[in-house]
Amino acid sequence: MSGSMFFDVLIVGVMVGAIYTLVTIGYSMVYGMLRLMNFAHGDVYIFGTLLCYTLLTKFQLNPIVAVFAAAVSGGALAALVEFLAYRRLRAAQHRMISMITALGAAYVIQNNSERAWSSQVLPFPSLFPAQPIRVFGQEISATHIVTLVIAVFFIIGFNLFLKHHRLGKAILCVSQDIPTASLMSIPINRIITIVYFMGGVLGVIGGILYSTSYNAISIGMGFRGTIVAFTAAVIGGIGSMSGTLIGGMILGITENLIGVYVSSSYRDSITFLILIIILLYKPTGIMGSVEKDKV
Amino acid sequence: MQNKRAYVYGGLLLVLIAVPFALSEEPYLLAIINFTIVYAILCLGLNLILGYAGLLSLGHAAFYGIGAYATAILMARHGFGFLPALVISGLLALLMGFVLGLPTRKVRGDYFCLLTIAFGEIFRLVSQAWIDFTGGAMGIVGIPIPNVLGWQITSETDFYLLGMVLLLFTYVTLRMLIASKYGRAFIAIREDELAASVMGINTSSYKILIFSIGCFYAGLAGSYLAVYQTTVTPSNFRLEESCLMIIMVIVGGMGRLEATFAGVALMTIAIEFLRPFAEYRLLLIGAIMILVLLFRPQGVFGDSSFRD
Repeated sequence: MSGSMFFDVLIVGVMVGAIYTLVTIGYSMVYGMLRLMNFAHGDVYIFGTLLCYTLLTKFQLNPIVAVFAAAVSGGALAALVEFLAYRRLRAAQHRMISMITALGAAYVIQNNSERAWSSQVLPFPSLFPAQPIRVFGQEISATHIVTLVIAVFFIIGFNLFLKHHRLGKAILCVSQDIPTASLMSIPINRIITIVYFMGGVLGVIGGILYSTSYNAISIGMGFRGTIVAFTAAVIGGIGSMSGTLIGGMILGITENLIGVYVSSSYRDSITFLILIIILLYKPTGIMGSVEKDKV
Repeated sequence: MQNKRAYVYGGLLLVLIAVPFALSEEPYLLAIINFTIVYAILCLGLNLILGYAGLLSLGHAAFYGIGAYATAILMARHGFGFLPALVISGLLALLMGFVLGLPTRKVRGDYFCLLTIAFGEIFRLVSQAWIDFTGGAMGIVGIPIPNVLGWQITSETDFYLLGMVLLLFTYVTLRMLIASKYGRAFIAIREDELAASVMGINTSSYKILIFSIGCFYAGLAGSYLAVYQTTVTPSNFRLEESCLMIIMVIVGGMGRLEATFAGVALMTIAIEFLRPFAEYRLLLIGAIMILVLLFRPQGVFGDSSFRD
């Protein structure tokens, strides 16, 4: 095992971690706000990614236009799902009810995507140059670097938006305390719609980055994507933005290291084993805070 | 009153016994009913976990799988009879449930749910990768015909009767459990966990107990599946199966055993009627789930007094 190979695996791990962070942000925000396990999240962003695939290959659109259109449609779909399947149940007696409608929505989207694109693995075109470039004296594929830079750009951009923009601050308020936020005349429903929309947009961007660096896209990635987002969100600590980054990175890097150095057929099992160990050692996630029962 | 009730139960029992003989010309229909029985056993146990301990388990299929693989390996490779294999399968699932239930002391709510997903996925991946022991993706084939006290179980009718016995055993034991002092503690935990712990109920021990018992029935169902199918493959125990069981329990109504029968029947009928529209099956099932719960959030036969 040479050092340069290790470096290469590490860079790919960081890249995958950054992508996982992107797809986790929407999931974690919704979860932190509404305590809703959004099982449709993965299928929504895979729908957007598949749409991008069609726009790129069939309609030969300019990549920027195609990515933009796909991201906006993914976001719109996420908001639509919230409106149709979750909103009415927000006051339901049991939180698990909306989780099941989320699963229902996931089935509906999955089935539609399957009809439109088949369930095969489709070859997603490369959007970035593949020639190697030298970083720290090591040769690395430019695709990985460009993907990483774009993912990090969106993660930082979104965090700045949350901290400094009026709308971002409103989102943070709602995720802390919905009743109080509504007393401060923050339009709760509109904010929640926006959160779903943005989560969908970031998810689609993550999905496209993943597909273009592996040149593959399939519907099966949807449900796996949901589980990845859930895992990363929980490892890091639900609702915490820095936790999302930590969770995504841990997942991306360990997955790649294990896949290369241990065994690719046990890769996913070991990922889940790490999750179990982290949960047992730190049940609230790395950046999460303990929730106390209130009488 | 007591007499009238006995007549109703007796009549119901006669109808249940008569079903396979009335349908002996329709093996396909009987096979569907047999699978429905398996799901009913699984979902009754799951309803105990979900409706009484409030634990969302998305790994129930793994315990189902543990039971199935245990029976398959014991009967096909070590020459065990069906009854000992059935008991061992149930106890093995109970033991694994106990081990997985231990973290409920520390890990709460949704994190526990993730733990069960992780357990289920590890089970499925290991059953695919550990080829020497589990047969890998091909699974285990050639599970012998079960023999219960001299009764050779071969036809669909035989399997129906065997399944019914297991289902009745499940339902009656769960009813007895809920009527006992343990059951009253379960209900107290369900209604208000904090109040129950203040009253001196050791809620975390009870949750582990409930979880292990629920898993025990999953082991029995798996054992039945193994002899019924005569093969066991990892694809029987995917996350989708766990999701389907949760859907059945919630559509029926959490925390009510009888409602589970309705949920299982409703979803099975929906799935079967949608078979001709195979291309749109998932879409229609998803739409049914959303519509049912939008209009009856407590489940079709759920109790509206049950709160989170």
